[in-house]
Amino acid sequence: MAGEQQGELQLVVFRLKEQTYGVDIGHVLEIIRASDITAIPGAPDFVEGVINLRGRVIPVIDLARRLGLAPINVTGNTRIVIVEVGGTTAGMMVDGVSEVLRLSQESVQPPPPMVAGVAATYLQGIAMVDDRLIILLDTTRIFRREEKEALQELAEQAEERAAS
Amino acid sequence: MFTEEEVAVFLEELEEKLQVINDNVLILEREGGNPEVIQEIFRAAHTIKGSSAVMGYEKMSTLTHEIENLFDRLRQGEMEVSETLVDVLFEALDTLKLLKDEITGPAGEVDVSAVIEKLRVCQLTCGAGGPGGAPAGGGTVPAPAKMSDSRELGDTPTPAQGTGSDLLLPVGQVAGTAAGLSATGTFNGYQTYHLTLELEDAVEEVVREAEVRGFQAYQVDIGIDQGCQMKGVRAFLIFETLQQIGEVIKSVPPAEDLQEGRFEHGFTVVLLTKEDAGQVHDLVFSIAEVSSVEVRPVRLQSGEKIPAPDAATGRAVKKEPAPPGKGNVKTVRVDVQKLDTLMNLVGELVIDRTRLDRFVEVFESRYGSDDLVENIVEISNHLGQVTSDLQEEIMKARMLPVAHVFNRLPRMVRDLAHKMGKEIDFIIEGRETELDRNVIEVIGDPLIHLLRNAVDHGIEPPEERVRLGKPRTGRLLLKAAYVESHIVITLSDDGRGMDPDKIRQKAVEKGLMTPEQAARAGDREILDLIFTPGFSTAGTVSDVSGRGVGMDIVRNQIEQINGSVEFTTAPGRGTTFTIKLPLTLAIIRALMVTLGDHVYAFPLTNVLETLTLKPGEIRRVRHAEVIVVRGQVLPLVRLAHLFQEKSKEEGKLSVVILGSGDKKVGVVVDRLIGEQEIVIKSLGGYLGQVPGLSGATILGDGKVALIVDARGIVKDAGVEEISYEVSRAG
Repeated sequence: MAGEQQGELQLVVFRLKEQTYGVDIGHVLEIIRASDITAIPGAPDFVEGVINLRGRVIPVIDLARRLGLAPINVTGNTRIVIVEVGGTTAGMMVDGVSEVLRLSQESVQPPPPMVAGVAATYLQGIAMVDDRLIILLDTTRIFRREEKEALQELAEQAEERAAS
Repeated sequence: MFTEEEVAVFLEELEEKLQVINDNVLILEREGGNPEVIQEIFRAAHTIKGSSAVMGYEKMSTLTHEIENLFDRLRQGEMEVSETLVDVLFEALDTLKLLKDEITGPAGEVDVSAVIEKLRVCQLTCGAGGPGGAPAGGGTVPAPAKMSDSRELGDTPTPAQGTGSDLLLPVGQVAGTAAGLSATGTFNGYQTYHLTLELEDAVEEVVREAEVRGFQAYQVDIGIDQGCQMKGVRAFLIFETLQQIGEVIKSVPPAEDLQEGRFEHGFTVVLLTKEDAGQVHDLVFSIAEVSSVEVRPVRLQSGEKIPAPDAATGRAVKKEPAPPGKGNVKTVRVDVQKLDTLMNLVGELVIDRTRLDRFVEVFESRYGSDDLVENIVEISNHLGQVTSDLQEEIMKARMLPVAHVFNRLPRMVRDLAHKMGKEIDFIIEGRETELDRNVIEVIGDPLIHLLRNAVDHGIEPPEERVRLGKPRTGRLLLKAAYVESHIVITLSDDGRGMDPDKIRQKAVEKGLMTPEQAARAGDREILDLIFTPGFSTAGTVSDVSGRGVGMDIVRNQIEQINGSVEFTTAPGRGTTFTIKLPLTLAIIRALMVTLGDHVYAFPLTNVLETLTLKPGEIRRVRHAEVIVVRGQVLPLVRLAHLFQEKSKEEGKLSVVILGSGDKKVGVVVDRLIGEQEIVIKSLGGYLGQVPGLSGATILGDGKVALIVDARGIVKDAGVEEISYEVSRAG
């Protein structure tokens, strides 16, 4: 958080469906290769399964599916970014991790309502780095429990209706 | 202000003492004025009074002071135990609980004046002796209750300066008693400072706590030169010096007297420090005009106290009802999370041991029995032994006596019985039986529900009992005991029992069964309907039961922790519920199977048997597949269908027969691997409950295997069973 005070962000940058995304490095525990994922019958389709992370059973999601895109094709580059959000440790599968980037807070712009099919709720902002666009994801929202999310959406809809 | 930790310590003690009062008032009600019981309550009230005063909870302190006064008079025989008294005491106890809630939560302002008034009235009216209200000072036994609270040793340099800064709460707590003790001390000459101190309970507790944190308590006897001119200053200096290396938790005479020079030739302090005796000695001795220093470690022996020097303080007999076999065990408070972590680490070890076993097998088959292989086998075996021992020990460390739950119940039963106008003799056995703390947390609610049912529906009102030729007072027995590797809790009443015919009628009324079904069903099947959601046998929904929590919830809660609940009943003679619980939840034995490319685990508690079938042996009833095992028709479930996996089944089918409650179901899997000990891991908060699964485990090869929710499968398959019944009937 000290970095933020100095107006600096550190991001883990990764690829997903020809797009570049970033998450705050503060949430990332480690990055591992995608292997031996045990599928969970009956779980939502974006849940890839569970893995054994040194004795802990950790759920892994297909980030592309979570964001409403087509499922990831697992290749040698596929990685699982292990994040810790709100006390839960979970992994998100991405097409490949490219770098860790430092950038100034100023280069981040608030999210436009919709980016490449990704709902604005998951976005923290868009960063411009040397002509590149990096989509900053809000990990806490991505790993929110489904039912809570559904309830939230209902509540939001109700609010919208009440407002209009 | 006090830190959270200090408040937590206070609350914990408070909880404990409230329980002591509660239990003993119950005994009081039953047995009348037993001196030991009165003494217990008195002491507990006294402790609460002291510590709540230190913490600044005035209302609590005032109220307990009043209770204490009352008990002091009881103790002196100036009053007698009466029904009114017990009622007022329970009211006071409830008020104390409210006051406790006031501390912990945003509870409303609790008014204590009414109950205090009642306590005073009680003292005046129930008494046989002199004027009430001010027993203090008039008694013959100088009990700690009468010690002055006005002076605090804590007035001396703040503990923050010492190394024992975190001892603030208990030190304050001690201060009051320490000051009082001085009254008993007489200092006439040289020898008297070699006092043997009687340590108050509170001081002992402080010392124990401190020992846990690595402090040692010393009794330091200090002699001052006879020619010393300014004894007070000297004493102050000594205090200052001691505070640098630790905490003075007690002194005789008290600090104030010392500072004003009101002592003869020496004094004694109890010091908590991390330094050793020699260093303490040297440090004190380095101060000018100190003529002698003697440092002795304070030894704590519960039950056996260092006798007090003065006969007047003859309270040395300390009655601490220690749990049997526990004796004087040194204990350390450990964070529950640390225990959980330890348990997880042991889990890892169990997994590695399983891996090693596999490795050994491969080794043996590849290299036969040469020396190296034998060595590895030996290491593997030894590791296995050590791991199981470790596992067992940690499991034991996580165990708590069921008393934690049971102790809350007598009061509840008493209140309920009063309310319902019933007379009940509530007997508890096996309080000391220990259970995993996770299990303990869960069983409270089901037990309360069963007890409520027993009091409400089970046991008849006294008149009815008399008419039936039963003893007027109903009997309710709650018992915990070990049975093999389980804990069995039984709750029996000698009440009405359940009548299958009445339940039949009810089931038809509620539309759970057609009259024909009900007539055909066996008694057992009918009785088990009480576990059906929404089913209540109560004729009328009373204030007590019928709160929307049914027996189905009870069964669910118990099954969630891998337990089971069964009951037997006889109309007119009573009902006995038997709850069987596992000792621990973390590690279970499981039957491992494969399905497609994956390995699944079935908890062995639900596996009745395994068998292989030819496809031709499967029969169809309507759309459901069934098999016949020894004449019994069981629904058949294909795990592949359930989990939408691609099955590799071919030719013969492997079937696991699962059972839960009275239901059985056959589950088709690809292949049976065998039994194994597995460590249950949760699928995590993110996934939450996944239908069909109850968790995951890690296999010897590092892969994750899923644990099948056997109970869930049996339950869901039950629908088909009924459909079979229907199809047979129709």
